[in-house]
Amino acid sequence: MTMQVQVNINADKATLAMSGRFDFNSHREFRAASEEALKAQGVGEIAIDMEKVEYLDSSALGMLLLMREKANVANRKLVLLNCKGIVQQVLEVANFSKLFIIQ
Amino acid sequence: MGKQLKILVVDDTELNLRLISKLVTSEGHLSITACNGEEAVQKFLSEAPDLILMDVMMPVMDGYQATLRIRELAGEKWIPVIFLSAKAQDQDQVKGLEAGGDDYLTKPVNLTLLKAKIKAMQRIAEMQRVIADNAEQLASYREENEREQNLAQHLLAKIIHNDEINNPLIRHWLLPAANFSGDIIAAAATPGGVLHIILADGTGHGLTAAINAMPVIEVFYGMTEKGFSIASIAQELNRKIKLILPTERFIAATLASIDLSKRAIRIWNGGAPTAMFVSTEGKILHQWRSTQPPLGIFDSEEFDGKTDTYYWHQSGQLVLFSDGVAEAENDAGDRFGAEQILQALSCYGENEQFDGLKQTLEAFLGGRSGLDDISLVGIHCPMEYAGETISPEHEEKEFNFRLSPGEWKLNICLTAAELKSLDVLPLLMSWLGQARLTQKQCRELFVIITELYNNSLDHGILQLDSCLKTLEDGFDRFLTLREERLAALLQASVEIELQRQRREDLEYLVLRIKDSGQGFDSALIQQCDIAAQTGFAGRGIALVKSLCARVNYLGAGNEVEVQYLLK
Repeated sequence: MTMQVQVNINADKATLAMSGRFDFNSHREFRAASEEALKAQGVGEIAIDMEKVEYLDSSALGMLLLMREKANVANRKLVLLNCKGIVQQVLEVANFSKLFIIQ
Repeated sequence: MGKQLKILVVDDTELNLRLISKLVTSEGHLSITACNGEEAVQKFLSEAPDLILMDVMMPVMDGYQATLRIRELAGEKWIPVIFLSAKAQDQDQVKGLEAGGDDYLTKPVNLTLLKAKIKAMQRIAEMQRVIADNAEQLASYREENEREQNLAQHLLAKIIHNDEINNPLIRHWLLPAANFSGDIIAAAATPGGVLHIILADGTGHGLTAAINAMPVIEVFYGMTEKGFSIASIAQELNRKIKLILPTERFIAATLASIDLSKRAIRIWNGGAPTAMFVSTEGKILHQWRSTQPPLGIFDSEEFDGKTDTYYWHQSGQLVLFSDGVAEAENDAGDRFGAEQILQALSCYGENEQFDGLKQTLEAFLGGRSGLDDISLVGIHCPMEYAGETISPEHEEKEFNFRLSPGEWKLNICLTAAELKSLDVLPLLMSWLGQARLTQKQCRELFVIITELYNNSLDHGILQLDSCLKTLEDGFDRFLTLREERLAALLQASVEIELQRQRREDLEYLVLRIKDSGQGFDSALIQQCDIAAQTGFAGRGIALVKSLCARVNYLGAGNEVEVQYLLK
């Protein structure tokens, strides 16, 4: 099951709603979505909604790191939302709270 | 298409043979004939046709038998066979197709239909050929890939040269998810006898992950050998990994330092599963959770190499494992999980905990490998250690890379024994390597130090005449003489002093070399160097003078002091 990413742009905030397994197969979908969000004019904050994410592995963490770098360059704030269960566990072990704003 | 085919026509009636053959040749193909099944088989072997038009009812051997035989002989290769028979019933067709025929036409043969069927068979044969080619290519790629993987595995094993891992106190187990494990386990001892262990897990698994982790090994071994603490090693690993690997790649790692004489375990855990100290009763006495992101993410300034120390008061085992363990799935798709890990470790007995976890995990996997690489390390930590006693002076050197280097002074005195056998220059350069110099500065200092040291040794102590180099084949003689005199050296000393100074907002490196010789004339040496114009092009005292802010010869000429501007 490939991961689905839905991009919603509302005024100055862009949201990437992700669902499914976030692993190395999700590379293309995630990159396309993040590029869309980064290019959008007037967006100050990009939120990645992990509500429907079932699984997260180290390649996913890598993709998040890459996006963080791009968001920094584009001067956008990056936020991770609704991280629960295994997603929360993985982010905790990796201490990503030291790198991302997690709400 | 339009490729010319070689078609074997088989029929016991002469008239039919001629008729069909004529059709075949009128289509531009080649025709060979046989009048019974046996002859058909022979002709198949001798002529290798592309297509066979086979009659069914024939003497000696019928069409079905012949086809069966031909199929056997053809092996992997497929020859299309079209039956031409007077028997028109469905069951005859079925029998024909079951005997190995690819199509069935009833006699009298509709020639137009036959033409069309030949064309169709031609298309299919072409397709088959392409598939067979692809399969062959694929097989050879696979073979090559396997060969390369084997070589890479061999190389990686050499690089990881796990010497200390043969220490009886350490137990380890690696189960790769594929050919290659991306997990690295290494162990080494500091000069003070403290055991260092690293368990590193790069993103992904397989060959790419293993390559990710390679820079880690050299740094780990090199720094441990020099006596650096794991906090410093972690700092340097992070710096190197951040430099070498792309943003999305990082290495989760557990760095452990085990001092058997002080009974202390110190651990840095970044992104790896919790490390545990388990008693002989199977009770978890201490845990080290991941407190930092994995290596290669933070900048050097943001990085925190802080470790957590635990002193054990009863013997037990330190158990480390990679996240492949919790991720492992059994046939039913259940995860092994954290609870089962704890359960497996809670067994009783000295050194039993590692085995307990390993066996439980093996049983769970049922002979398969995990989704991710699995690594397990267990280090026995006894109360009484019957190894070498470590003297308390061997404290671990702490180099704090975050502060700018202040003024320091290094003073070395080398006597005859060292002058003969010690590689002095790399030693000095490696010290300077800690001083955070630019590449250009390193190169220039190397030239300066080499020149001055060699002068002291060659001219000051060995009393070699530099002008010897200007003579014909003087160089060889010079070197031979040098070797002889060095070997015969009994009493001598060279004192080297390196100092970093701040003077009026400028930073300098001051190098002073004093040898126990009677002094030599530096001016004379300079002349001879220029005159010799030997392979030492660009070197010599002249160059040293051009690189340094100040060059002074002191005493009887056996002491030189130079000042090099850093910034």
